[in-house]
Amino acid sequence: MNSKLASRSIIVITLLFLIGPFGIIILAGLSAGDFMTFPPDGISLKWYAKVFEVKSFRASFALSMFLAIGGTIAALLLGIPAAYAISRYKIPFAETIKTIVAAPIIVPGIIVGLALLRYLVVPLNFTVTIALFLAHTALVLPYAVRVVSSSLNNLRSDMEEAAVLLGCSRVGAFIRVVLPNIRSGVLAAFILGFVTSFNQVPVSLFLSGPGVRTLPIDMLSYMEMTYDPSVAALSALLAFLSVAIVFIAEKFLGFSRYV
Amino acid sequence: MSNSILSLKKLNLAYNKTVVVPDLDLDVREGELIALLGPSGCGKTTTMRAIAGLMAPHSGTIHIDGKDVTRMPANKRGIGLVFQSYALFPHLNAFENVAFGLRLKKLAETEIKSKVEHGLQTVGLAHLATRKPAEMSGGQQQRLSLARSLVMEPKILLLDEPLSNLDARLRLDMRTELQRVQRETGVTMVFVTHDQSEALALADRIVLMKDGLIEQIGTPSELYNRPRTKFAADFFGFENIFKISGNALVGDAGSLQVSYQVDAEYLAWRPSAVTVGNGSYNGKIVGVAFAGEHIEYVLETLLGQITASSPAAERKFKVGETIKFDLPLASGFALYP
Ligand SMILES: Nc1ncnc2c1ncn2[C@@H]1O[C@H](COP(=O)(O)OP(=O)(O)OP(=O)(O)O)[C@@H](O)[C@H]1O
Ligand SMILES: [Mg+2]
Repeated sequence: MNSKLASRSIIVITLLFLIGPFGIIILAGLSAGDFMTFPPDGISLKWYAKVFEVKSFRASFALSMFLAIGGTIAALLLGIPAAYAISRYKIPFAETIKTIVAAPIIVPGIIVGLALLRYLVVPLNFTVTIALFLAHTALVLPYAVRVVSSSLNNLRSDMEEAAVLLGCSRVGAFIRVVLPNIRSGVLAAFILGFVTSFNQVPVSLFLSGPGVRTLPIDMLSYMEMTYDPSVAALSALLAFLSVAIVFIAEKFLGFSRYV
Repeated sequence: MSNSILSLKKLNLAYNKTVVVPDLDLDVREGELIALLGPSGCGKTTTMRAIAGLMAPHSGTIHIDGKDVTRMPANKRGIGLVFQSYALFPHLNAFENVAFGLRLKKLAETEIKSKVEHGLQTVGLAHLATRKPAEMSGGQQQRLSLARSLVMEPKILLLDEPLSNLDARLRLDMRTELQRVQRETGVTMVFVTHDQSEALALADRIVLMKDGLIEQIGTPSELYNRPRTKFAADFFGFENIFKISGNALVGDAGSLQVSYQVDAEYLAWRPSAVTVGNGSYNGKIVGVAFAGEHIEYVLETLLGQITASSPAAERKFKVGETIKFDLPLASGFALYP
């Protein structure tokens, strides 16, 4: 009985620790006052409404969405064939390739950002948007390769041969037989990539330029100027968005199997 | 052979540097039913994969209908293969699995439907058309895989242990079914099996393989009645094979003086050819197994273990009894080097 109580309280404390900040943010955004405080100064929805009126938030939200969706799709377009080649063919240095592909998540984001800025953006004169797009694609690529690899490894390769013997080309077999069977892995990689890209700060920090910022960076600079609860409201909204995405993914794909 | 539909010449098959099949020659005539028989790991699947075009031979050639297809891609050869592992498409139901190849041929939907239904009927799966492979038993998956290849009406159908996962009754049914399909369509079939009785029952000719080499090719009765080597004899039920040295038989455990002298290398007896209950030698029964119409005994003798069988109606012996037995020359089969 006692140990049951102990384990229960550990669970409660853990949840409190994980969800607590989330609750604080939600409540702070509901404040009726002009500053971010906790507990909030009365209750109102005005800061939640204000989020939608700040112009730079709208622009940076659009940019972040574009990077998260476009970058992840680009990473999947590169990552799925790479994962397929690594798992199906005897490629020399396959392990090395895997490590190199994983580099952007192993190397600290600050360094990746600085390196991209110094050697890609400055000398090649890339626009900020293109640089951000390339950086986000590279950051998501490791996840794409990993997650897709693991679902490919669970897939027997003989069915591709069966498809070929029934008249498919190799590419046809990939499209008709492999893709449908790793579909949930690809969607899981997409969601993971989306969330990773959307929440990315250090790399974007270096690459963001005047007027072109991702949402997290924009929130940071907004906070430097104005310490009102709208940032808390926006954070809460974003958290809800993430939860909704993961919830839908879990519901339809059994997302947790892949992560 | 000019009228052979499939002809393998000096085929050498290897995985990286490991040679599995060193030098294989084989001619299959149109409409023939060939059994590829051999112990596990002897290269049967490897040979099938090479014929189908899933692996390139290291050297040697493959001809189909007189045409060199050694370098032809697998999807152009018109060969069907029923995989040992079934290789069904998990995301498609039974109907769609069977329809897969027909759809690629761009047949009309009504034609596809009737062919698939007929195919499923043939293997007794018509009632499971909407099931996914994961929701089927091993035997049902095996039959589905068979149907998927059959509906394509290939010139040559390769079957890698197509009946291994079926129960005794279903296996007999499917054997009959295979023979019927073969008669009706005239398709040339090469099927792999471990099971000598299956090879004997189904095949026009049996190819017995050992370590990637052909040990003997012949009709079932040739292989059953006149195995040429010790290995072949062993495979076809001569369970007691002894080397001859002067007028002694030599087994694993020792030798036994006999009253006859032959200039063969080995003498072999099927269990039923061993006399039990009388004879000039003694053996101790260490195993008794009831096998329906007859009883099998394992005897511990000077030669080592001997397997004998006698009709179940005859006098029975018990484990631990010492009995008389004989290995008569008349019922023995001589093997020459
Ligand atoms: N992909 C592979 N890489 C390396 N060696 C292999 C590979 N596949 C098979 N082998 C080896 O080749 C030999 C022949 O294998 P194969 O699968 O052709 O045997 P088989 O006669 O079909 O056996 P079974 O009756 O058990 O299916 C075996 O010794 C096996 O270990
Ligand atoms: Mg095999």
